[in-house]
Formats: sequence, C-alpha cells, structure tokens
Amino acid sequence: MLQSLAGSSCVRLVEQHRSAWCFALLVLGYLLYLVFGAVVFSSVELPYEDLLRQELGKLKQRFLEDHACLSEQQLEQFLVRVLEASNYGVSVLSNASGNWNWDFTSSLFFASTVLSTTGYGHTVPLSDGGKAFCIIYSVIGIPFTLLFLTAVVQRIIVYVTRRPVLYFHIRWGFSKQVVAIIHAMVLGFVTVSCFFLIPAAIFSVLEDDWNFLESFYFCFISLSTIGLGDYVPGEGYNQKFRELYKIGITCYLLMGLIAMLVVLETFCELHELKKFRKLFYVKKDKEEDQVHIMEHDQLSFSSISDQAASMKDDQKANEPFVNSQSPTSNDSSLNN
Amino acid sequence: VLLAVYVGYLGMGAAVLQALERPAEVQAAQLLLREYWKLMANHSCLQGPALERFIEGIIQAYKSGVTLQGNTTSLGRWDFSGSFFFSISAITTIGYGNLSPSTAGGRIFCIVFALFGIPLNLVLLNEIGQLMLLGVQHCARRLEEVFHWQNKASFLMKTCALVTGLLLFLLLPPLLFSEKEGWSYDEGFYYSFITLSTIGFGDYVIGMNPDQAYPSWYKNVISLWILFGMAWLALVIKFCINILE
Repeated sequence: MLQSLAGSSCVRLVEQHRSAWCFALLVLGYLLYLVFGAVVFSSVELPYEDLLRQELGKLKQRFLEDHACLSEQQLEQFLVRVLEASNYGVSVLSNASGNWNWDFTSSLFFASTVLSTTGYGHTVPLSDGGKAFCIIYSVIGIPFTLLFLTAVVQRIIVYVTRRPVLYFHIRWGFSKQVVAIIHAMVLGFVTVSCFFLIPAAIFSVLEDDWNFLESFYFCFISLSTIGLGDYVPGEGYNQKFRELYKIGITCYLLMGLIAMLVVLETFCELHELKKFRKLFYVKKDKEEDQVHIMEHDQLSFSSISDQAASMKDDQKANEPFVNSQSPTSNDSSLNN
Repeated sequence: VLLAVYVGYLGMGAAVLQALERPAEVQAAQLLLREYWKLMANHSCLQGPALERFIEGIIQAYKSGVTLQGNTTSLGRWDFSGSFFFSISAITTIGYGNLSPSTAGGRIFCIVFALFGIPLNLVLLNEIGQLMLLGVQHCARRLEEVFHWQNKASFLMKTCALVTGLLLFLLLPPLLFSEKEGWSYDEGFYYSFITLSTIGFGDYVIGMNPDQAYPSWYKNVISLWILFGMAWLALVIKFCINILE
C-alpha cells in the first residue's frame, strides 16, 4: 500500500511541497473554487429561474380565470407544463415560493454536489450558458477535487491510522496484523455511527416527513456519491434557516466523503486484503508491491494510484509485460 | 470471469428491484388515475386550493416516477430493463434519479446492493483501463519496431488514443442521441459528459421518450458506452495529473 501510494503522482506532488503553507493554500484554493462556482451559477441561473417562475405564475392565473368546465386537454397541457417545471425544481405551489433554487447557498450546495460527482438533479442548470459552464467547471474541478482529497486523506491517515497502530504495536506488543485489524474495525464502526447514524437521526428531526430509514438512505446515497435526488434536505416548505442549513449540509457531505476515504484507505492497508485483491489482476509487471486502492467514489482515484505507478515503471523499464495470474508469483512479490 | 460476475451482479440487482418495486408502482398509478377521474367528474369551477392539492399530488407521484400519461417507456418503469438501468446507475454512482426506490424494502436493498456493487464496479473499471493502456502500449511498441521512432511512438500513440477516445465517447454519441432521442447536439454532449463523469443529474435520460421507438440494440450499446467511456475518462484524468508533475 505504501509503495503504491508513494508511486502515485498525486501523492508525490503533495509530498514535494510538504509545508503546511502549501497545504493551507490548497485548502483555501479549493474553498475559493467552490465559492467561485457558486457565484457564477447564481448569477447565471437566477434571472432565468425568475423568468420561468413568472411565466408559470401567469399560466396559472389564466387557468384560474377561465375556470368553468375546463376541458381535458387544457388540464393536461397545464399539468405537462407543471411537471416539466418540477423536473427543474421550480414549483408553482404558493407555499413553496420562498424556496429559490439558485440563491448563493443553494448554488454552493449545487457546486459541491457537482464536484463530488454526486449530482442530485433536484436543481439543474436551465440555461445553455449554465450547462456549458457546468461542463467546463467540472472538467477542471473534478481532478482538482481528487488532488484535494488525496492531500487531505494523506494527512489525516497519518494521525488516525498509522500512529495509533504503531503505538499499540510497540506499547502492547501485539502483532501488527492484529492491531491493524482491530483498529480498522473500530474506525469503521466509529465512522458509520458518526457519519451515518447520527446525521440520519438529525435529518429525521429537521425534515418534516423523513423517518429514520429515509434519512439513513439519504446519507448513504449521498456519501457514496450516487446522488439519486429523490431526497434532498432543505427543500421542504417553510424550511427554517434555509441558508445555514444548506451550508451545513455542504460541509457534512465534504467531511463525510473524506471520512469514507480515510476508512477505505485504512482497510486497504490491511495486509490480508492485499492477497484477496491480487486475484483480480490481469497482469503483473513489476517486482514491487502494486496494490489496488479501492476508493469507493472518485471514479479515477483507484486507477490513478495504481496505474500511475505502472506508467512510471513502464516508461523507465520498457520491458515486456509478464502475464502472471498465479497467486504464487503474486505472493512472492508481496513478500519482498 | 470478472465480467461475468459483474453482469450477473447487475442482473440480480435488477430482478430483485423489479420484484420489490413493481407492485407499489402499479398501486400508485391506479390511485392517481382514480383521483384524476374524480376531479374530472366534479368539473364545475375548480377552486385554487383543490387544484393546488391536486397538483401537489401529481408532483409527488411524478417524483416517484409515475405520470398521468398511460404509456411510459421500458426504461421509465420498474420492469426488467428499467431496473437493470437503475442498477447500472447505482453501482457506477451515476444515480440519475428518474427512477428511485419508493418502498422501504427497495431502499434497504439499494443500500446493500450499492455497498458491494461500487467496489466491484471500481475493480472492473480498473481492469478495463489497464487493458486499454496495454493495448495502447502494444501498438506503440509495434510502431517503434516498424518505424524505429523510439520515444516519439509512445507519445504519438497516446495522443492518438486520446483523440480516438474523445471522438468515440464524447463527440460521436451526441449524434446518435440527436437521432434517437431528438435532443440537439449540445444537449447530447451535455448528457454524455454528465453521465461519463458520473455526476448524473437526471434531467436528460436516454430512453424516456414514450413516442420514440428504440431499436433493441440501443440499450446494450449505451451500457457498453458508459462502461468504456468511464474507464477512458479515468485514464485521461490520470494522464492530466501526470502532466501536472
């Protein structure tokens, strides 16, 4: 695990500029990037949403005026429009008119869901400019996010995993394997309760019609970045402190993502798992240990650390690959 | 072997979800239709609140994927292809949201399904990426032997692969979409990008237009495209970060 991480270009880039200065700069840069995205989205989308709202309002007025004996077609037409609009998150119901989709905090929330590739879809860019910006924003932002997450996870894992494991190993004299396993389990348990169970309980209280299961479902769907969008917090009618709530949710999602990555990294460092994953490899082309890191969300995160290592060695060595599927050869390389 | 496991996993998820969701969906559709006819019966002078309540009901139903129009496409229902498509969108973490489980059992299953499916998906993507890389380097070596170019061949092959991938996964599919779905080229491109980056808003989803007749190969081709496109995009991002160094 350590060798493959060291081989990853992300980590190398980070370790070259180890100073806290650069790290703080990276964090600041990332936050600024999010804010910038939010500002642009807000300024691009808000007028369009305003327009859409007005149109819908006018349509509804006209409908209410020619009341008597509405024909089926008229009703259908109206409803089709209503559904189209609700697809975009714009509602015509009077008690939902306080919920703007593109004010600043909502745009911030939206930007964070785009960069984490969650993508709920409860609000989507309506205008062509918004869509184009969204694409460009994510082309730059997603690698940026990956870099950022790598850096953060690297820092955290030193304090959370490596030092305690080493400490217990030296202090209490258990074998490293045992300590590592116990530690991984404890960490997993703590993370699940902190980032799933407790937030689920909080959401089920704060949201009007969410029970505990639905909140837990939401937490899972969001933190795994699937992001279906059927449940999105902060969209209820007359939500109190909506802005603060949205910011809170954004922070929760980011921290939850980091926590997930830390836990996965910890599990991947377990010696036993390495042998299991070797079974899935098609080729084995070098002596040192090449371990696949199964990060669960960022689609390229795993391939980065693994393939970057293989890329570097390939460029240096330029020797033909050896197709070895037998576990024995893998084990021998493991023991090096 | 891995591919077989992956496909089998998807199929199993689809079957279970279909079994869980279809009854609930049918029931919701019937309820909605009943309400609709009741409204049509009491025609005279609808009042605002009654209308609002009705619209609210409609929107609620719509959010669970049930519409008033009688016909939805097979990707918009919880039958097998719809559930299959949902499984794909779940374990690739795209998560469109046009279909989402509304029963408690469906949700719990979805959680467990994704818990194991996502690592599986990652392993598969890693494999595909490595295979693609292998292919590129193989071709590069061939070129070196034929033309004796040394370092240039590798670079050329990589740019070539990049351009081919760009064409195949991002630039050509929108043409297919504009023909089959009736979207404009920009919308098709937007959809392609949002899907391959696994953001997956769900504002555009293929196969949701009930007036279109989709050929039978359409869905399979799209699934393949998603898989390979994601692996390719992962490689590209890795290259970008390599260049950063």
